[in-house]
Amino acid sequence: MNEEKKIIHYDALVVGGGIAGGEAALNLANSGYRVLLVEKERSLGGKMILLSKVFPTLDCSACITTPKVSEIARHKNITIFTESEVTTIDKRSENDFVAQITKKPRYVHVEDCTACQLCEQACPVSVRDEYQQGLIGRKAAFIPFSIANPKAAAIDIENCTLCGACEKVCPTHCIDFTMQPEQFELHARTVVMATGFNLFDPLEIPRYGYGQHKNVITSMQMEREIAPTRPFNTILRPGDGKVPDKIAYVLCAGSRDASVGNPICSQICCMYSIKQAQLLMGALPMADVTIYYINIRSFGKGFEEFYQQAKGMGVSFVKGKIGTIKEKENGNLILRYEDISEGVVKEAEHDMVVLSVGVKSNPDAGKIFPQGALKLDPHRFVAQTDLMGSPAKTSIDGVFVAGTASAPMDIPDSILSAGSASSEAISYIKQHQEA
Amino acid sequence: MASKINPRFAEELKQYGSVNFNACYNCGNCTAVCSLSTPEQSFPREMVRLSALGLEDELKQSLKPWECYYCGECTTQCPQTANPGELMMSLRRWLTAQYDWTGLSGLLYRSLSFTIAALLLVAAGVLLFARSTGFDAERLIHVGHLFEMLAIGTVFLVIFVPNLLRMWYFTIVKQKVRVPLKSYFSALPELFVNMFTQKRAKDCDEDDNFRWLEHMVLVFAYLSLLFTTVFLNWFGSEHLFVILLGYLESLLVFVITIHFVSGRIKRNKSLNKFSQPSDWLFVIWLLLMGLSAFLVRLFIDLQLLENNIWMHILHLTVLAQWALIIVPFGKWTHFLYRSFAHYFVKIKTMQEA
Ligand SMILES: Cc1cc2nc3c(=O)[nH]c(=O)nc-3n(C[C@H](O)[C@H](O)[C@H](O)COP(=O)(O)OP(=O)(O)OC[C@H]3O[C@@H](n4cnc5c(N)ncnc54)[C@H](O)[C@@H]3O)c2cc1C
Ligand code: SF4
Ligand code: SF4
Ligand code: SF4
Ligand code: SF4
Repeated sequence: MNEEKKIIHYDALVVGGGIAGGEAALNLANSGYRVLLVEKERSLGGKMILLSKVFPTLDCSACITTPKVSEIARHKNITIFTESEVTTIDKRSENDFVAQITKKPRYVHVEDCTACQLCEQACPVSVRDEYQQGLIGRKAAFIPFSIANPKAAAIDIENCTLCGACEKVCPTHCIDFTMQPEQFELHARTVVMATGFNLFDPLEIPRYGYGQHKNVITSMQMEREIAPTRPFNTILRPGDGKVPDKIAYVLCAGSRDASVGNPICSQICCMYSIKQAQLLMGALPMADVTIYYINIRSFGKGFEEFYQQAKGMGVSFVKGKIGTIKEKENGNLILRYEDISEGVVKEAEHDMVVLSVGVKSNPDAGKIFPQGALKLDPHRFVAQTDLMGSPAKTSIDGVFVAGTASAPMDIPDSILSAGSASSEAISYIKQHQEA
Repeated sequence: MASKINPRFAEELKQYGSVNFNACYNCGNCTAVCSLSTPEQSFPREMVRLSALGLEDELKQSLKPWECYYCGECTTQCPQTANPGELMMSLRRWLTAQYDWTGLSGLLYRSLSFTIAALLLVAAGVLLFARSTGFDAERLIHVGHLFEMLAIGTVFLVIFVPNLLRMWYFTIVKQKVRVPLKSYFSALPELFVNMFTQKRAKDCDEDDNFRWLEHMVLVFAYLSLLFTTVFLNWFGSEHLFVILLGYLESLLVFVITIHFVSGRIKRNKSLNKFSQPSDWLFVIWLLLMGLSAFLVRLFIDLQLLENNIWMHILHLTVLAQWALIIVPFGKWTHFLYRSFAHYFVKIKTMQEA
């Protein structure tokens, strides 16, 4: 395969096409630099494109992300590789970063696909839809989600039975099972790491019963339930499709918890839970929403007001970490906690529980560079070697970090961080121009 | 009633074995996962809090440390690794020192060298006494037997009765609990049931009752061994039944304690992770008691004792150290205070009803 390796040249490589990577790419491109944006998923947009509304403004997340993503996609200075992996990056000299990139086959020629969805209807295979967080199913020939970019079909080859049905119905004949992985060798003058974060896996806390109790879901699943492109037309609990009327939020689920190896605060879950609670109060006016917390961290601009607003709307706040969750026969859940204000252990019944799962680092970033050249912090986020002076700098000169790849943060901070990374990258290119 | 905040209390408690409890961020997870915590008696978070603030009076008046059987669940699940289970254990040691009017309990807990000195002193006393009898087996057994009876009576009257009264004063009188006298009688079953069965400990590990069973067998074996030696005069007895009974009891005592000691060496449970000298002393001396008693009787039956009087002196030494140090001032008292704590809690609930 090495013979077929294509050599390509760009000014900048941006790894990760979430909001931070997208913003960094856009800044570089607008300044006249040619950017290759590499994303491992089938769409740009990262976590943000899947969100409902955003705290603290309650703007529609999709309405902000989609235009930005299409601006990125249409930009003449930006080339996008989706479903692609940067396997290694080697720094040969101050302005020659050599990256090996594998582009996986989509089995659909994106330029020809009209997103008519006929293949989807024809495909006999159903699997869980990862973009809807497993709440519903999808086909093996599918459009990832309605606002995905690129908006084109893809074949999930892992689950495909190669029956050929999709190929037959496709009006533009863009489905092509002969596609092969492509290898690229990229030469770039600077690199921005924007590999984002991973969600905490709630299976690590068996006493919360995620995956066993049917009506215990994650906050990301709830984001989908309340998003404009949501899977159902209302809020339903997964166990039996009942509209819930007593919803609990379990904060710090997998954050600030040394017993699961994640002692730090995720910074966003207090606020997104308050946001979801407000949206739920709007969607289900009769429902009770209770937030069980250790401390409410409403430190940002407009956050405290947002918290008070939720209280004013009738969201209940109870100080006490949830210890255990047990399931009743009717699918309701019994939460055991100590009500700290009274010092008394209590049990409360809810018909749906949302685990406000925390932010974990994405260890990918560290693996790309040889022999740990890219330093990680103790929690395996990309280390910021000059946090106070130049927060986008990493342990490798010329490699910058943007967004949640460096630490848990919200969208405004991710965008700010991307701004900092892109301007550092630009000045790095300028400094090493003639070398 | 509120006492003064004392940030230095943590240092004092450290001498009783507490670990890292100041890391607590007051989330209540420990209370929520504790299977013994109830709405009426919620712990251990409150105890962690009071300890962090150093509110000694409130701690002294609390019975909650005695409700904990150290299953360790709270410690395993504590998000701050603040080790609330070990804190509860250290509070029990600290409370023992508060109840003890002689102050010796506290000294023994806090100072290992004092403990060793006390053990050596008692050993020397036994040796001197043995020499004064000219190492006569018959006399030694006789006096050993008398000593045992005397020690039980004295320790009970001079140490336990006043200490229990003090405990009662702190936890009932100071807490302004007012109940009619008859409550003290009607709550008595609680005292004895807990003393002999530790039935609450059973709720600790829902799926593993072995530790509870083991512990209960040990308590029965130990108490009946005491009865057999003191009142049935095991070492002097000719009755086959009594002789065999003693063998069985002492065997159970040392076999179970060997298991406990090995658990502490392997640190296989939270309970076993931070053993203090007092914990080691307790299990090892119990082991030695059972073993040496067993061997003494064996030597008697094999007619070896006459020529191996050292065996009996060894047994007497262990016995004296046990009866004069560990029982009145050491971990043995936990057994007593814990049973009384359940009894007092019961009395308190009678007031509310
Ligand atoms: C439930 C929930 C609700 C939230 N609500 C809000 C809100 O209301 N307001 C707010 O401000 N914030 C909110 N956030 C936080 C917000 O999602 C993040 O701040 C933001 O998405 C971070 O963007 P990012 O680009 O740094 O990371 P990500 O969104 O994680 O993007 C990283 C991208 O990099 C890609 N990638 C990863 N590894 C590689 C690799 N090796 N090669 C190539 N590509 C790779 C990923 O596929 C992904 O597309 C919420 C978060 C959650 C979980
Ligand atoms: S070939 Fe694969 S993707 Fe296409 S319809 Fe059949 S199973 Fe679905
Ligand atoms: S942001 Fe709130 S919920 Fe999330 S880890 Fe921090 S304190 Fe816990
Ligand atoms: S679980 Fe740990 S941090 Fe939480 S209250 Fe208990 S001791 Fe404190
Ligand atoms: S050790 Fe067990 S019984 Fe004691 S407080 Fe902790 S959880 Fe409760």
